[in-house]
Amino acid sequence: MKSNSGQNLKLGLLIVAGLIIFTLGVFFIGNKQNLFGDSIMLSSVFKNVNGLQLGNNVRYSGVNVGTVKDIKFLNDTAICVDMLIDRESGKLIKHSSLATINSDGLVGSMVLNILPNSEVSSRPIKEGDTLESLSQVATADMLNTLNQTNENAALLTADLLKITNSINAGEGVLGDLLKNETLAKNIQESAANLNETTNSARAGINKLNGILNAVDYENSVAGLLLSDSTAQKSFSNIIEDLKTTSSQIKDISADFGEFSNSLNSEKGALNYVVKDTTFVNHLDESMQNIEEATFRFNQNMEALKHNILFRGYFRKLERQKAREERKQ
Amino acid sequence: MGNKSLLLVSVTGFILGLVFTLQSRPTLMEFGAVSWMPSMISISIVREIGPVIIALICAGRIGSSIGAELGSMKVTEQIDAMEVSGTNPFKFLVVTRILAATCMLPILVIIGDFVALIGSAIIENTKGDVSFLLYFNQVFEALEFTDLLPATIKTFFFGFAIGLVGCFKGYNSKKGTAGVGKASNSAVVFTSMLLFVLDFIAVFITDIFYN
Repeated sequence: MKSNSGQNLKLGLLIVAGLIIFTLGVFFIGNKQNLFGDSIMLSSVFKNVNGLQLGNNVRYSGVNVGTVKDIKFLNDTAICVDMLIDRESGKLIKHSSLATINSDGLVGSMVLNILPNSEVSSRPIKEGDTLESLSQVATADMLNTLNQTNENAALLTADLLKITNSINAGEGVLGDLLKNETLAKNIQESAANLNETTNSARAGINKLNGILNAVDYENSVAGLLLSDSTAQKSFSNIIEDLKTTSSQIKDISADFGEFSNSLNSEKGALNYVVKDTTFVNHLDESMQNIEEATFRFNQNMEALKHNILFRGYFRKLERQKAREERKQ
Repeated sequence: MGNKSLLLVSVTGFILGLVFTLQSRPTLMEFGAVSWMPSMISISIVREIGPVIIALICAGRIGSSIGAELGSMKVTEQIDAMEVSGTNPFKFLVVTRILAATCMLPILVIIGDFVALIGSAIIENTKGDVSFLLYFNQVFEALEFTDLLPATIKTFFFGFAIGLVGCFKGYNSKKGTAGVGKASNSAVVFTSMLLFVLDFIAVFITDIFYN
């Protein structure tokens, strides 16, 4: 009987231990799925849930706050995801928060993330609220993009290989640069010349610096030219006057050129006077005739003075002249 | 029947957890997924390996015991004497054993799973610097009711099969003491095979309902 009691006790303890472990297991698993705690039901509508399943975690700022309760089609482009959120955590979640579906790591299961929306202030969530959803790039899309990038990289590598082969074969400018010894020598000589030129330029600059340093900026003309603002203004005025004068000379030159052209023109009288030798001869003869005529006219006038008719008039003129001379 | 198997089940479960973790760890490390160890180990042990291995251990321990006990009663004509005395040996000998096996196996499996997880946690703690709290947190993060409940329900059927086959083989043993050994042996062999068939059916049904 005593042995039977001990046996029963051991058996009872075993059963109790087994049941406790099972109960604890159920409790912890259920607790993780928010089955026993006080929770709030939220929903969000997505175009694509990217393989989200019932029971997947819901995270708010990286902390597990609930699980996905239900996923159902609203229509052909909208899927409603219901989630159970722990009521205590729900007090911190604002109604303006955004729901997104992401992968938990590269090979992990999907997770529904609730992102705080700091730009909009709103009330905390309450039972039955619908959060705005935010579509994000799915893993498949990322892999597609990565695949395309890989293909581009392969093409680039192939092109680079061709370029490298061409360069190694000494083709093109780069190939010449790497393979052509004559070009290399020329470049070396050019570099040496450039070096020499640089040295000469440096020496020239040093000399110029010396000259500039030697200038007495206060007492010399060069100093006055370089430093006196009044002289600068005067020079500026002089230059302006020179400009004006130059412009006027230019106009005069143009007029003179025009005049010269007119002079050279066969139609003008001056050209006739200057260039026609016959006219000059005629003019010379005319002058001689005028001189002869003048001589004869003088003779006639002398004769006229002695004429009885005009003699009185000329005597009167002589007396008047004599009176004026006495007055003076 | 149950508490006498506890030590065997506990040791088996503990070593199972240790060995399974030690063997899986290098492979997961190659993929840089060693943090998935608690999830993988817990799901594997709770869903499949724990119930099957512990049921096989119990088939050897309990099935052979029932087969040998009933076989010896049969060949020594104790069962016949019970029938003559008006006692129904089927109710007294068979039903009680089948019920006991059916009820005790789930409890043994739950304890065995728990001990296996403790063994796994010890390895993770010593080799991977994973605390027990983090380990069991990840275990319960990974486990769902769809892992625990079907696995627990199928252990009732495993226990029922162990009791039934053991009783059947023992109850129908013949040819004297040699028949007792044969009944015991065939009870273990047949039960082991039946457990795998039942496990396949259970997994198939679970897959239909949950996936």
